[in-house]
Amino acid sequence: MKKKMNIPIMNISIMKLALCFLILFTFSGCLGGREINDLEIVIGMGIDKDESTGNILLTAQVVKKEEVGGSGKGEGGGESKVFWNVSSIGNSIFDAVRQITHKTGDRLFVSHNQVVIFGKDIAAEGLQKYIDFFLRAHEMRPTALILIAEGRASDIMDVKPETEKFPAINIAKLIKSYGFTSHLYKVNMKDFASCLMSATTAPLAPLVSLSQNKDDKDIYVSGMVVFKNGKMIGKLNQEEVRGLLWVLGKVKGGVIIVSSPDKQGNAVLEIIKAKSKVTPEIKNGKIAMHVSIKEESSLAEQSTTENLATCPAFDEMQKASAEIIRQEILAAFNKSKELNADIFGFGEILHKKYSKKWKELKDNWDDIYPTIELKLEIETKILKTDLLKKPAFPSNEGE
Amino acid sequence: MFGYIFKKIRYLSLKNKDKSMLQDTIAKKNSEPISSDLERNLEVIKGILSDSSDVTIHEFNFGHDRRFKGALIFINSMVDKEEIHKNVLQPLMYGTLLLNKDIDMDFTQIDTIRRNLISMIDNLKVTLLSDLLDNLLAGATILLIDGSKEALVINPGKRESRAIDEPGTEAIVRGPREGFSENVNVNIALIRQKIKVPDLCVEKFIIGDKSKTDIFIVYIKSVANPKLIEEIKKRLSRIKVDAILESGYIEQFIEDNPYSIFPTISHTERPDKAVAKILEGRAAILIDGTPFVLIMPMVFIESFQSVEDYYSRPFLASIVRVIRFLSYIISTLGPAIYVALTVFHQELIPTQLLISIANGRERVPFPAILEALLMLFTFDILREAGVRLPKSVGQTVGIVGAIVLGQASVEAGLISPIMVIVVSSTAIASFAVPAQTGSGTILRYIYLVLAGLAGGFGVIMGLLATLLHLASLRSFGVPYLWPIAPLDFSGLKDTFIRMPLWTVSKRPKAIVWSDFDSYKQSPDLMPSPNGEGN
Repeated sequence: MKKKMNIPIMNISIMKLALCFLILFTFSGCLGGREINDLEIVIGMGIDKDESTGNILLTAQVVKKEEVGGSGKGEGGGESKVFWNVSSIGNSIFDAVRQITHKTGDRLFVSHNQVVIFGKDIAAEGLQKYIDFFLRAHEMRPTALILIAEGRASDIMDVKPETEKFPAINIAKLIKSYGFTSHLYKVNMKDFASCLMSATTAPLAPLVSLSQNKDDKDIYVSGMVVFKNGKMIGKLNQEEVRGLLWVLGKVKGGVIIVSSPDKQGNAVLEIIKAKSKVTPEIKNGKIAMHVSIKEESSLAEQSTTENLATCPAFDEMQKASAEIIRQEILAAFNKSKELNADIFGFGEILHKKYSKKWKELKDNWDDIYPTIELKLEIETKILKTDLLKKPAFPSNEGE
Repeated sequence: MFGYIFKKIRYLSLKNKDKSMLQDTIAKKNSEPISSDLERNLEVIKGILSDSSDVTIHEFNFGHDRRFKGALIFINSMVDKEEIHKNVLQPLMYGTLLLNKDIDMDFTQIDTIRRNLISMIDNLKVTLLSDLLDNLLAGATILLIDGSKEALVINPGKRESRAIDEPGTEAIVRGPREGFSENVNVNIALIRQKIKVPDLCVEKFIIGDKSKTDIFIVYIKSVANPKLIEEIKKRLSRIKVDAILESGYIEQFIEDNPYSIFPTISHTERPDKAVAKILEGRAAILIDGTPFVLIMPMVFIESFQSVEDYYSRPFLASIVRVIRFLSYIISTLGPAIYVALTVFHQELIPTQLLISIANGRERVPFPAILEALLMLFTFDILREAGVRLPKSVGQTVGIVGAIVLGQASVEAGLISPIMVIVVSSTAIASFAVPAQTGSGTILRYIYLVLAGLAGGFGVIMGLLATLLHLASLRSFGVPYLWPIAPLDFSGLKDTFIRMPLWTVSKRPKAIVWSDFDSYKQSPDLMPSPNGEGN
């Protein structure tokens, strides 16, 4: 008597399915999970030149995981640092990144890197050869902000901010809030690299400085650094940066102070909106850039007793603010001519419109750039006076 | 060695053959006709019932001269003795005394007794011993008369049953409070009260060699697909089991894909839900002895619908339905996504969140996957314990569980606080879709293991496999993912959101069998103040 052996079709399909899953997990190569505990979360990196050896000094700001949440726990022990600036010296950046594991014990986890700060000596030497790693490494964020330290990057990263826990995140916050003043603008790795690759456009990066007031150290952004061929060649101050941003159309907000029509005090305007349009023109071999700017603002503050909410006053203030904008733009333009660096990206604009002529222009752009003429057309408009219609003074009209 | 095994097998098969022969003889004996000799009949019946103590055989004489002999047989516990006494024994024993002596009735004829003496409606005549026994065991009283080859089955209709109560598993805020009970006759009545059409069919089956359970298929002939009914009957008729104790038995014997983790037959305790589905062209199977009614065919989205969706206005109902879909996703994918993110894709977590997760996990000694499995397992233990325990003790379990799960394990550094949040939100979400709790629990573990092995890649592979499986499922010929796949726009009106009742004028296309009678309401029912539709 034989027992019936019937293999249902089900079993075969189950075997097929199991095989599929086996293949999935053996061939996928995705088995490299890492527990969060084992991560050294890097939130900021600084690159300096080691003074004695001339090698690269890498400072990584690593989160001290056990200290972060415990503001309540460690009360008695005073303030303990929640971050750790660990540094190492290497021949290349990647070498230094790997060298750091001698100190941290774990590989750095750089996906959350917020800022990369280059020391001034590195910037002067040329960023091109240092930036490669940050663009190439797959863990690196292309949106990490790029900054230049006025002194050494490691000093900047040591300054403990008052409200934020981490210096790197604080610096990133400083840069990201540029819209309130338009005195700088944020440049990330991707933007910087695309400017680097352009033949004409000069990249810029914010410059962070350290101010020392007795024991208190503070960080502030003092302007932007201009690069040419990857090397730092100069610096734009805050007004010049805004002049540049007017042309680029990147002004998001900020304050324009004009003297009031009665010359007794000031009227302060807040920029609400700004637009720009750049049209290149080549006439008789001379290049002119027509820049038209439309700006809208509101009256945010006044320091005179005069009622500024009148048509003649508005007209006058609009004219005055247009003049200030013009001054700022010209300051930036003159500075760029002085440095002979195309910070406005005029080269690219010409390339788009006059692509045939561009081939001739491209090769001696350095000679052509200082000869470019700038034609400005600025239109300003004050839209509102916010909550007050009259200043808080006794009215001297009527009677 | 092999010889011994073969011998053993042969012995076992012979033994089975013996048993089946025994059963055959019983069956043969039972199918004998009733003899006219009362004494002999009683002896046979006694023999078959093996002198059970709760079987009462009451012999008596009747007629005006007491010359007729009769016997009542019934099972004590299943019969209303009062009724039998009043309506059977009294007329036979006293009623006949009052008869005029000249009217000589022949009381050996069952029909004479039935027509003249028994004042109960529910009775029938049987001639076979097996029918007699079936009815006796189902709770009827048997009247045997000496000299008659027939027996009278009298059904006094007493049956212990629970009062109609609010259904325990499907509580709602707005809607009828009645639920099915264990008595199938009551259940049919509950359905009949809601559908008053002549073509509501109630077809009876008796399944179970030993339990002889009454099973009813209920459907509306003009709406339900005749092929569906035929298929159900075919599947029911091949069930050969000892007993059907609950609707789950039937479900597991007739479902389409027994290996699937997804149920393809739905069940309910609510008459209004059953009726709504019968009206859509589905068939309900009512089983005696359980308040759960099976309804087929079932589609996946039915799990996310509640009767209350249709009783409340469409806006909140739609939001609630979206919440149910979301909670099913959370309940299956929650822990998996957490593990995949924290172990494989840390770059996707916002920096601040990553730092706080890292801080929470700093003291935890286990890998995230183990931590998640541990927590889920603890939760499942708690849930199971809470369900089985008496209510008073169940609360204690809840408190202990909350403290152990929530606080102590975090403070002891075994579990990170975020894992507690993930698992508890998963647990809460899993209760939002009661019909898919089983599949959700299994999927949760599968996805979690896949996430632990291969991260987001593994989760997506798991999701694809689930989707393929769902798309391949059929419930009595209806695609399980209808109306999403195959896409049916008219069906989508009642899928992710619930459109107002007046927009849904047709019965579900996949279930109803023809265009004939596909409208359940007139298509221009949109209310407007001047009393006329647009």
